[in-house]
Amino acid sequence: MINKSTQVEENTEGYREIEITVFRYNSQNKNDTPEYQTYKLIETPGMTLYIALIKIWSTMDHHLSFDFVCRAGICGSCSMVVNGKPRLACKTRTNEFEDGKITLLPLPTFKHIKDLSVDTGNWMNAMSKKVESWIHTKEKTDIAAIEKPIEPEDAQAVFDLDRCIECGICLASCSTKIMREDFVGAVGLNRTARFAIDPHDERTDAEFYELIGDDNGVFGCMSLMGCEDHCPKELPLQTKIAYMRRKMVKA
Amino acid sequence: MKIIYTDALIVGGGLAGLRSAIAARDKGLDTIVISMVPVKRSHSAAAQGGMQASLGNTIKGEGDNEDIHFADTVKGSDWGCDQDVARMFVTTAPKAIRELAAWGVPWNRIGKGPREVIINGQKETIVEKDEAHGLINARDFGGTKKWRTCYTSDATGHTMLYAVANEALKRDVEIHDKKEAISIIHESGICSGVIARDLISGELIAYVARGTMIATGGYGRIYKQSTNAIICKGIGIAIALETGIVQLGNMEAVQFHPTPIVPSGILLTEGCRGDGGVLRDKDGYRFMPDYEPEKKELASRDVVSRRMIEHIRKGKGVKSPYGDHLWLDISILGREHIEKNLHDVQDISKTFNGIDPADEGEKGWMPVLPMQHYSMGGIRVKPTGETPTLKGLFCSGEAACWDLHGFNRLGGNSVSEAVVAGMIVGEYFAEYCANTHLNTNTFTIEKFLEAQREYLQEILSYDGGRNIFDIKDRMRTIMQEKVGVFRNGKDLNDAVNELEDLLKMVKEITVTDKSLCNNPELNEAYRVTKMLKLALCVAKGALDRTESRGAHFREDYTKRDDINWLKRTIATWVNPNDTMPTLSYEALDISKMEMPPAFRGYGKKGAIVLNPLSKKREEEIVKIKETLGSVDRFTMQEALMDYDLPKDYKRKNERVGVGYD
Amino acid sequence: MSQKDNTVELLTGKNNFGKKSRIPAKLDFLQSVTGLFLALFITFHILFESSILFGKEAMYRLTKLFEGEPFIEGGEPLIITALAMVIFSMFIFHAFLAMRKFPASYKEYQRYRAHRELLNHQDTNLWFIQITTGFAMFFLGSIHLYMMMTSPEKIGPYASADRIFSDWMWPMYLLLLVSVVMHAWVGVYRLIIKWGWFDGKDPRKNRKRSKLIIKVLIAVYLFIGLVSLASYMKIGYDHQSDYGSRYVMEKIK
Repeated sequence: MINKSTQVEENTEGYREIEITVFRYNSQNKNDTPEYQTYKLIETPGMTLYIALIKIWSTMDHHLSFDFVCRAGICGSCSMVVNGKPRLACKTRTNEFEDGKITLLPLPTFKHIKDLSVDTGNWMNAMSKKVESWIHTKEKTDIAAIEKPIEPEDAQAVFDLDRCIECGICLASCSTKIMREDFVGAVGLNRTARFAIDPHDERTDAEFYELIGDDNGVFGCMSLMGCEDHCPKELPLQTKIAYMRRKMVKA
Repeated sequence: MKIIYTDALIVGGGLAGLRSAIAARDKGLDTIVISMVPVKRSHSAAAQGGMQASLGNTIKGEGDNEDIHFADTVKGSDWGCDQDVARMFVTTAPKAIRELAAWGVPWNRIGKGPREVIINGQKETIVEKDEAHGLINARDFGGTKKWRTCYTSDATGHTMLYAVANEALKRDVEIHDKKEAISIIHESGICSGVIARDLISGELIAYVARGTMIATGGYGRIYKQSTNAIICKGIGIAIALETGIVQLGNMEAVQFHPTPIVPSGILLTEGCRGDGGVLRDKDGYRFMPDYEPEKKELASRDVVSRRMIEHIRKGKGVKSPYGDHLWLDISILGREHIEKNLHDVQDISKTFNGIDPADEGEKGWMPVLPMQHYSMGGIRVKPTGETPTLKGLFCSGEAACWDLHGFNRLGGNSVSEAVVAGMIVGEYFAEYCANTHLNTNTFTIEKFLEAQREYLQEILSYDGGRNIFDIKDRMRTIMQEKVGVFRNGKDLNDAVNELEDLLKMVKEITVTDKSLCNNPELNEAYRVTKMLKLALCVAKGALDRTESRGAHFREDYTKRDDINWLKRTIATWVNPNDTMPTLSYEALDISKMEMPPAFRGYGKKGAIVLNPLSKKREEEIVKIKETLGSVDRFTMQEALMDYDLPKDYKRKNERVGVGYD
Repeated sequence: MSQKDNTVELLTGKNNFGKKSRIPAKLDFLQSVTGLFLALFITFHILFESSILFGKEAMYRLTKLFEGEPFIEGGEPLIITALAMVIFSMFIFHAFLAMRKFPASYKEYQRYRAHRELLNHQDTNLWFIQITTGFAMFFLGSIHLYMMMTSPEKIGPYASADRIFSDWMWPMYLLLLVSVVMHAWVGVYRLIIKWGWFDGKDPRKNRKRSKLIIKVLIAVYLFIGLVSLASYMKIGYDHQSDYGSRYVMEKIK
């Protein structure tokens, strides 16, 4: 690995200089070798990694690849490993790193594309299909008629789990997923829990068992809680995986 | 040459695109959705506050129906919308929300009995009916007569998008993400697909289909400050424009949202004000009631945004390194309400500004300033969603000028439009695809593919030393400063000239990395070129429109002019080498309107030049009503302005307490 | 399951009725059951062991109690053999089940290790402790259990002390003690999380609390264990010259 250093920035008084080191590698190019590249820039007030990376990209290195979409912590695109921790880059402020040194790596376990960019979409779509992430019901809905009443607490409980943004951080924080490619991870298990508690969904425990009743599903989880501790949406993954495990053991 | 054939091709994987894909799959069509990003990352997910549908479940929405939703929408649009489309929309919206409920969107539900709400800054207790228990709840939003905006906390778009995306996956809609459509394949006035670029490998792929739909969202990113996601560059609209045939409608109609947070520009939902939050100035004074005594903070977005800037111009703004701003105060709603119903707002404010809005008093006030938020303009389509000039090309959602929103969109009508258009336009689109056969050949396809290959090579061969990022920044600054909330002839003229120069300047850039694959600088080069064309359509449209209507406000022409300007701006890019769009106009026919133009009920009074035809139509309406006598509202509506809907979407909607009336 | 059933699962991944096998559920459940059983066993085992801290007599009496002295004159060491056999089977079964979770190849191990070092996340690190100690116990635990099965009579204040000191078993016991205490308590913590036992109203807070309690218990048990071991060492050291002679209670003397 080679260390390169780039410095392009006028000194702005009163603000400190920070160092952002980025993993550079183009998986599409067979001749490329991985390297770490360090950029020095002035930290402006309220700077997030989104602002910093856009600055690096537009003023220092037009070739740097990364993924941002909403830049507000809503879409889940910008997950990356920040000083060892998988996080949403858009919600990470640079001033929380006291020594001003930040190392950015792409999210592990996903197919690497280039630099900080990985392919989450195809994995997540496959996962959604694997756990049949949709309402199963025999009831036919007349969409012109008054909707089926749902207890407010039930709707709220479903919503609390529906907040998952498929950012992939739970998978990148999970040793099981790191070792075992086919593990559906917290994202998949939380999804089944979400449908299991949805009053619209008629699936039985036995039917859920067909989806997650093996070592790629709920029995693969070793309760290391990487998911729970890194989830940017603070979803109750610990309790929901336990909930599904209890159900599946009895199914 | 890589060609992928399918029956129905949809460009864009947000709510509108995915819902249309479902319509196509349900007809048994082979359907592909191509998207720049994984579909669940689409900007639809960022819609926070809610979706309008006149269910009338909550006590504060009692008596609501399609007619009231229709009137609110037309007034909100400042009579710029297509009233046929507005009717189609309001009739289908309740069905859309009920379909989504059955698909698992966890809409907030009503609990019977008393609950405390904040109205006009005061605590009030409302009592929900027993029979409404468990039905879909609604909150108040700007410009609406009733509480009509249904929601899932402040992550409404997210839950809707996930439900629709999952339903699409269930139906085996093929999703190709990290693909960007960069040109439309067409011959003899018929569209037969797109040329797309694989954003990973750089490969050019021809997607060939019986029918093609653009659902790529808006063009907010041509502005420096925008709440839009960074993918909202309007590329889908631009490639339609570049056909030279497709028309764009009302590009100058750009909405500015009153309450993005400063400086990041991340949106704080209208639900903040809908739930009872208020705006304050540097003295902590609640100023909106002075300007808008009736609707206060909940006038339509264009009005509130203008009033805010007006107030700042009076020196009442709060000084900050990022310019003057105002305060949004939701602390009065109480911590419990905020943590449950405005969770993301709190999260955004804490993360990006270090402010907890649930903290009482000044400490919890969030800095806000109006910023670009929504593109009312887009690809001009017929009520069926098909472009009138290029057969087989459909468009839905924010990318379209279907014309539901005219010159100002109501909050809560965007995600609502996205799914409703997905249902209606999706259905027309699916019918078209099912009944049409491909009539193209590899010669034509190759010609379009080659043209793009050459174009990309041409960009790489430019060697003028300019930087595409500088050009982009300049464009965004011009739009921000000269084509913003308040517009005037001089600034707009400068903007048009400067944007034209910038467009010419694109040929003088140098792209340092010459690779065709995975080259973010190259992506930027062709995208900015397209964005500049859209920016020119916006600026030129705004310059030529010498009136003020909805979000388009001219300081030199402050009145809405129904005599000269009750018409839609149509922009085309006739010749690829042009540096300016060609504008024409499409008149709106008052004599066919169900609701002829009048005062909106909010905003500055006496600022309208009414068209005499309005009066004439009003008299006509009175006469029709008299002739019909006491008939139900559906018969009456049909007599005033009949409209079509596909499938059984025109059926009456049931409501609690009133049945199907 | 018959050969035919197995073949169906081999070819389809499902059983004769087109359903997924229930075996993974059973394995997961049994891993927890055996683990919990062994953990409970070890908590008492170490406590009984530490009876030496109350003097040789206390330890002697306890030993005899386990040999069934109240009912059998002089005690019957075969009871210990039987007990050890039960524990050993449980131990082997648990090891067999837990092995499913071990990294199965260099690639898996490399990925796990690099990730753990990068993440530096406490619960993930705790699992590393569990697999290392678990792996160590394949051997350490087996030695100990085998000895208890074959020479059950060699338990007693002097017999145990001689074994530990003069027979050079103390390094093994030291390692076994550390391994078993860590493995058992971390395992119990994981069971709490895995099945959601003490979630209560605020599962996050209660998880922290559980973790704290577990850490305290590890410290306490390590302390008790180490002091007991030291105590046996001391007795064994003093007893070198009489190696092999058995303890006789004071009053009988």
